[in-house]
Amino acid sequence: MAALVWFATGVALWHFTVFVPDRFWAGIVGAFLGAVVGSMASGAAAHIASGRGIGDTDILTVLVAIPGALIGMGIVYLIGLRTEEEQPA
Amino acid sequence: MTGRRRNLFVLLFVVGLTVASIVVILSQPTKLGLDLRGGTSLVYQGQPTPQQPEVDAEAIDRAIEIIRQRVDTLGVAEPEINRVGTDQIDVGLPDIQDIDRAVEVIGTTAQMHFYDWEPNVIPQDPNDPNATEQGFNREFDAVKFASKQKPECFRNLCTTNGPTYYLFDRDSLELLTEPSQEKSDLFLDFPRERQPKNSVVVAVPQGTRVVEEPPQDDPATEQDESTGPPEYFVIRDRPELSGTDITSPEQNSDPTTNQPNVTFDFTDEGRESFERITSRIAQRAAGEAPPGVTTAAQAEPLSDSFAIVLDDVVQSRPIINFVENPNGIDGRTGAQISGSFTISEAQDLAETLRIGALPIELKLISQSTVSATLGQEALDQGLTAGIVGLVIVTLFLLAYYRFLGFVAALGLAVYALFFFALIKLIPITLTLPGIAGLILTIGVAADSNIVIFERIKEEVRAGRSMASAISAGYRKGIATIIDANVITLIAAFILFVLATAGVKGFAFTLGVGTIVSLFTAVVFTQAVLGTLGRTAFVRSPRFLGAGTSEQRVRWHFDFTGMSKWFFSVSGAIIAIGAIAFATLQFNLGIDFESGTRIKAALAQDASVEDVRTTLSDAGISGAGSASIQDVDDPTFGDNVVQVEGEIAPAEVGKAQAALEQQYGIERDDDGFQNQSIGPSFGEQVATNAVRALILSLLVIAIYVAIRFQPKYAVPVLIALVHDVLITAGVYSLSEREVTSATVAAFLTILGYSMYDTVIVFDRIRENEPRLPRATFSQIVNRSMSEVFTRSIITGLSTVFLLAVLLIFGGETLQDFAFAMMVGVASGFYSSIFIASPVLTAWKEREPQYRARRAHLEETMGYVPAFPEENVVARVDEPGAPERPEPEPEPEPAAPAAAQPQPPPTPAPAAPAAPSGDGEDGAPGDGAPERPAEPLVGAEAGGDDAERRRAAKRNKRRQRQRRRKHGRHR
Repeated sequence: MAALVWFATGVALWHFTVFVPDRFWAGIVGAFLGAVVGSMASGAAAHIASGRGIGDTDILTVLVAIPGALIGMGIVYLIGLRTEEEQPA
Repeated sequence: MTGRRRNLFVLLFVVGLTVASIVVILSQPTKLGLDLRGGTSLVYQGQPTPQQPEVDAEAIDRAIEIIRQRVDTLGVAEPEINRVGTDQIDVGLPDIQDIDRAVEVIGTTAQMHFYDWEPNVIPQDPNDPNATEQGFNREFDAVKFASKQKPECFRNLCTTNGPTYYLFDRDSLELLTEPSQEKSDLFLDFPRERQPKNSVVVAVPQGTRVVEEPPQDDPATEQDESTGPPEYFVIRDRPELSGTDITSPEQNSDPTTNQPNVTFDFTDEGRESFERITSRIAQRAAGEAPPGVTTAAQAEPLSDSFAIVLDDVVQSRPIINFVENPNGIDGRTGAQISGSFTISEAQDLAETLRIGALPIELKLISQSTVSATLGQEALDQGLTAGIVGLVIVTLFLLAYYRFLGFVAALGLAVYALFFFALIKLIPITLTLPGIAGLILTIGVAADSNIVIFERIKEEVRAGRSMASAISAGYRKGIATIIDANVITLIAAFILFVLATAGVKGFAFTLGVGTIVSLFTAVVFTQAVLGTLGRTAFVRSPRFLGAGTSEQRVRWHFDFTGMSKWFFSVSGAIIAIGAIAFATLQFNLGIDFESGTRIKAALAQDASVEDVRTTLSDAGISGAGSASIQDVDDPTFGDNVVQVEGEIAPAEVGKAQAALEQQYGIERDDDGFQNQSIGPSFGEQVATNAVRALILSLLVIAIYVAIRFQPKYAVPVLIALVHDVLITAGVYSLSEREVTSATVAAFLTILGYSMYDTVIVFDRIRENEPRLPRATFSQIVNRSMSEVFTRSIITGLSTVFLLAVLLIFGGETLQDFAFAMMVGVASGFYSSIFIASPVLTAWKEREPQYRARRAHLEETMGYVPAFPEENVVARVDEPGAPERPEPEPEPEPAAPAAAQPQPPPTPAPAAPAAPSGDGEDGAPGDGAPERPAEPLVGAEAGGDDAERRRAAKRNKRRQRQRRRKHGRHR
């Protein structure tokens, strides 16, 4: 259940990347991957650290996935920027 | 064959099939599932035995054959016994009265062994002379004692091929589940198949066996002692004979006590063994007896016995009186099993022994009973929903498409006839989920017509003749319909392979219906229209609901430009869903959580506490914690109670008997309905659902990647994720129960969502080569404006059907309808506002589209929403229009070297001003050609001769492009 929460949080945040210039690595799909992988990773890390079971979820389960999603999308964005700089269109 | 002849041939063929279908419908019975006719479904999981260490397909098939013979002895007409997955058997018993008896007869392994009792009983106290008659009072004590024995297998006679594991509650020391040869099998009944907390596993080594001896009636006292506690004995596992050594078992009566018993004969080998054993027992007792024992009465207490053990229970332990039978018992007279049997029990045991032992052990993991009354009610509701749905969709199509709607209605009627005939002919067992699938295929059939009719209307508006428009409409629509229907078929197939039995019916019906609808919607309606297309009365576009080009609905909405706002709405909805998942989670039904739901129409009024007490007194383990409530269901009865809790499937019969005895059940047993799911079955449902979901996504993504481009597959998947999350979020927020029907609906949503997305993508794919100067967002806007009407009409048709299901369908159909309603709405939305914008954002990164965008920005200063608004001429050229806002900039420089040049501007015969209302559809046979992209080009302001030359060049290039890219993909 927690995994579903993290996944949904990542996907929800990804929807707002349309307001950011599309310089993500692999574009909007890269941003999707970054958001999902980031939210799952930070959610899982926080959950494991708290020692809770996978079915034990509350509002914190949502909140802990947010930084991961943002970081994930940020990394994909930085990779995209660097790629653009290296290979100017 | 000419077109007209082919059409006539198709029509004659359809008329022939229609007559045949009517004959089949009138002559063949409809095979109804248990949920519609009433009955009991038992799902067993096969487990290995020493004789069959692996549950393979052959063992399951043999077990099914034995079960079939056993069910025949119950007198059940038309039982359905099927293998489910690799190790399960689903036994469907229509109109069964005594469920408890059925469970007992079907599930008994019936492994029978004969033991020489006295030398094999391991005494608790070796010094106790009466030790062989003193068993343990608690099973745990016996098992604990047995666990201390050394493993052995005397002359390879032992009945196990390893230790036997027992699982006890650490506090109460009650046995928690049946013993097993595999330690892991002990936990199948528990969540995540793990050892429950506060439990202890005890292993009894090979060569030692714990058997239960029920209290026996003592014929001397003529008192019923069968209700006392059983005793447990630990014996050496050295059987002398087995069930394979006996023949002709039959129920009889003991001549002395007149009690029912089971008599049997021996095989030749068995007879010799029996004589040898009984002789040995008699001689051993005689040797141990004190001198002077000469009468049978004197010998009785001193004689030894042999035990007949059936599935760990001592059925009978006759004494071999050494005075009466000093040389043993002649096996030619057979033997008997006498116990505290009723006649029915003795008959069942005799039949079970006659049929033989099951090769594997069967564990009851799910049991559900549907009352025939409620089944009939569900059938009526389903049929009503189907008929009303068909009528509403027909009326809608007639109102919107007029004559084309009439043809579609004709197609739907033929579809309904063919489909119903197929259901009877195959035969397909019609279940409630199957009816849901049937009703949904009406939507699929209607949509196939809608896709084609919209194409025909486009062609008519483009100025084609009716015959030409029909021909072109079908030719262009067929690829779209096949793509979309293949996706529905893939979803149905995966559902059929992976889902549980009930949902299989839904998937099968959906699959067959989709294939039939392809035939009726494409072949049949084309023949009808092709035949009538040249007649005078279908020549008016207005008669076809096409109107004139000025009257048609024109969608001129910047779909991609506005997508960020739609994305925001979706993001917010999914965020709310995520919070709901975390805080409310899901209201999972017993399909997933396991447990039992009983609905009983009691003859007498009873309070909730009365019912609880009755169940507790009957020894139902989960009665104390069960949720019991009065239910208002006048169709079922006046005093309806519903019990929901952790009651094992095997205890349902006991619960029914207790309620029957205490309060009576209306209409005999028909006032009792239950669903009982073991934990392993519930987990299997959930696991299969997730597998089906992932596999569907993968297979459909591969299909889309092959049929379109790999880049088209990813937005399809993202849109699906969007739909599933939104539908799941609605379920979580509304706290509606999630059942296996919901899972089926979820998977169908995937099919529907992709169906919708494929139709949009198909038009994008078609428009890509036709708009060689447009940016991808313009192509998408143009494509969506062309298919938006179709999406709305299809969405409305489906929503009408689902609304009918919600209103007229029973509980299960309403489950489907709710999930589908949310999913269809989400699928319609995501195909337009999520999948297409994601595809746009991704494709716009491709160099060619970047170049086109850059070119437009340079020449116009902005990128219009639609390709019709593009102005590609230089402003200083004669005849060029005024540049729209922003103010024109100086002539742009050539695109950067790294960017590919935009394709050469085709010289058009185009209007001299930007058009906001360009022509739709591709030119086709016999229709006036039109420019692929209305342009205002350098040649636009030239003289007439130059314009004609440019138009010719343009036509030639378009023909070349069509040849290269395929004309009507």
